[in-house]
Amino acid sequence: MSNLLEVKNLSISFCTPYGEVEAVRDVSFELQEGEILAVVGESGCGKSVLCKAIMKLLPKNAKLKEGTIKTAGIDITAYKENEMCRLRGKLFSMVFQDPMTSLNPTIPIGNQIAEAVLVHNPKISKADLNRRVIELMELVGIQDADNRRKLYPYNFSGGMRQRSVMAMALASSPKILFADEPTTSLDVTIQAQILDLLIDVQRKLNTATVFVTHDLGVVARVADRVAVMYAGKIVEIGTAEEIFYDPRHPYTWGLLRALPAYSKGSDRLYTIPGTPPSLIDPPTGDAFASRNEYALEIDYKEAPPMFKVSETHYAATWLLSEKAPKIASPMIGGKHGN
Amino acid sequence: MRINRNPLLYITKKILLFLVSILILSILVFYISRKAPGDPLVSYYGDRTEKMSAAERHNTMERLGLNDPIHIQYIRWIENAAKGNFGISFKYKQNVLEVIEGRITNTLILGGIGFVLTFVFSLLLGILCAWNEDSLLDRIVRQVGTAFSCIPEFWFALVLILVFSVSWGILPSSGAYSTGMENDVLNRIRHLILPMAVVISGHLWYYAYMIRNKLLEEVRADYVLLAKSKGLTKKKIMFRHCLRNIMPTFISIMAISVPHILGGTYVVETVFSYPGIGTLSYESARFHDYNLLMLLCMLTGIVVIFFNILGQAINEQIDPRIKANEAVETSEVLSYD
Repeated sequence: MSNLLEVKNLSISFCTPYGEVEAVRDVSFELQEGEILAVVGESGCGKSVLCKAIMKLLPKNAKLKEGTIKTAGIDITAYKENEMCRLRGKLFSMVFQDPMTSLNPTIPIGNQIAEAVLVHNPKISKADLNRRVIELMELVGIQDADNRRKLYPYNFSGGMRQRSVMAMALASSPKILFADEPTTSLDVTIQAQILDLLIDVQRKLNTATVFVTHDLGVVARVADRVAVMYAGKIVEIGTAEEIFYDPRHPYTWGLLRALPAYSKGSDRLYTIPGTPPSLIDPPTGDAFASRNEYALEIDYKEAPPMFKVSETHYAATWLLSEKAPKIASPMIGGKHGN
Repeated sequence: MRINRNPLLYITKKILLFLVSILILSILVFYISRKAPGDPLVSYYGDRTEKMSAAERHNTMERLGLNDPIHIQYIRWIENAAKGNFGISFKYKQNVLEVIEGRITNTLILGGIGFVLTFVFSLLLGILCAWNEDSLLDRIVRQVGTAFSCIPEFWFALVLILVFSVSWGILPSSGAYSTGMENDVLNRIRHLILPMAVVISGHLWYYAYMIRNKLLEEVRADYVLLAKSKGLTKKKIMFRHCLRNIMPTFISIMAISVPHILGGTYVVETVFSYPGIGTLSYESARFHDYNLLMLLCMLTGIVVIFFNILGQAINEQIDPRIKANEAVETSEVLSYD
């Protein structure tokens, strides 16, 4: 399998009146054709910024400090807006968090989907266009598409809006789909439906998906691989199997222990102590050190490199260093979410 | 989207609203003008009023029907008005309709063209500024706009007259045409330039700034991000999505600004002695020319109220969300999940 997307040492900063916010710090990962990569982490850890940075959808005050973004072997780091327009929708596309605001309220759903089809296929005939719109709506599970395409977003429920957004994202059969917390703002029952839909579509169209979420339960259901982000960095990355059954980073342990399923039988749910650091002038060393009960002295002085656990599994914690004391994972024998 | 609404009922409602507003306006104007201090006979008899005896005055007032209680006068006025008889002007001793007839075209030309140009320019300027947000052009327009909105129109008009008519002598300072050149279009246009410049520049910046801000609000909305991620270019997003979404606001602003610009036109007409109904209403209010004042107020009021109602009606047609409340029942039936 070849790398569809290759991000190397990507750093993104926002210039704000309060200083430079280092939202993404030195992130590297690859995405293969047809796989689902889940990016998990707390709010504000840079998950969404990472996706938007790849599609160059960030506001003007965001700066790409360093790093490269390659898609299918082509370096798109320096691409200008007009070149990006040709890639967006066709190569990659995005589903956003809040379907209540991400649709234009004054244009019928069908026209908004048609627009997405027309962008990369302007010469399509009217009959073909209508057929394609209906086909897309049916693909994302909107029944009675022929009538519903004339409706406005306010006629739709949250779940149906998110399905419509998916239809738009898939209109030009993109190779990569960024799903930025697509279920966060939906009802729990609808969440499950949208997740099933995502997996279903991914299987049908073989679209590689980057799935951003803070819900580990969701990750267990959908992901092939998982990247755990903390304070703008990927701290652990591996296959879903490895992350859930053999986590190595103390932060991943914390996330897994915080799952309700893990606290079965006890009165309280586990929480990771403390709060994430401010990304304006982040701490030297490991950003997680101050919340880490296993922190070593070196954690406060030097940021840990990515240690290799297996061919597919890497984690950035000094605990994996040869010199570190051997600490048994608190997760052994634990119950894991799903 | 199907809305169960009888269009006939809708239009009837709007017309009723319109008529009631006009009626209330007429009562208010009638009452206030009669109660305002001043002598209506001055406009009829001029200086001769001073030499009138008390009995003469009384008789004259009686003859003009000004001694009756106000509500009797009002009922008489509205009865006649319903028959299309608006009375005579005290000053011109002529049917008020005839007095206005000669003037109204001038005002329509000045106000109408001024109105259209104001909005064409402000839309263009607004788009340009929103497109190049925080650029030099954007900042200049904002500064100039702030400065201009503080300058009174009559003062700016005087400055223009001073520069273009007095100092340079290239443009006429008053009137709608030079004597004897009534049918010379070029001459009329030359007379229009300065008043028009004042009418436009008094409102242009303000509306351009509003349009710019509205557009930027749209540009920052979430749906723009989705449109971008679909692969749409900035131009398409701006014109197909953002501009479309500010149209209801734009049209409301246009409709509401009719009285605003009309009021501006009246001031400008007075400064430039432009023979329109602006100068006429100023005179009639000053000299208590009751019948003329009533008709002019009614005309202006009708225009203002009509455009406000029209603005709202157009709004409802363009932006489906305004009608959304009435469509709730239908949407509940149609959505699932």
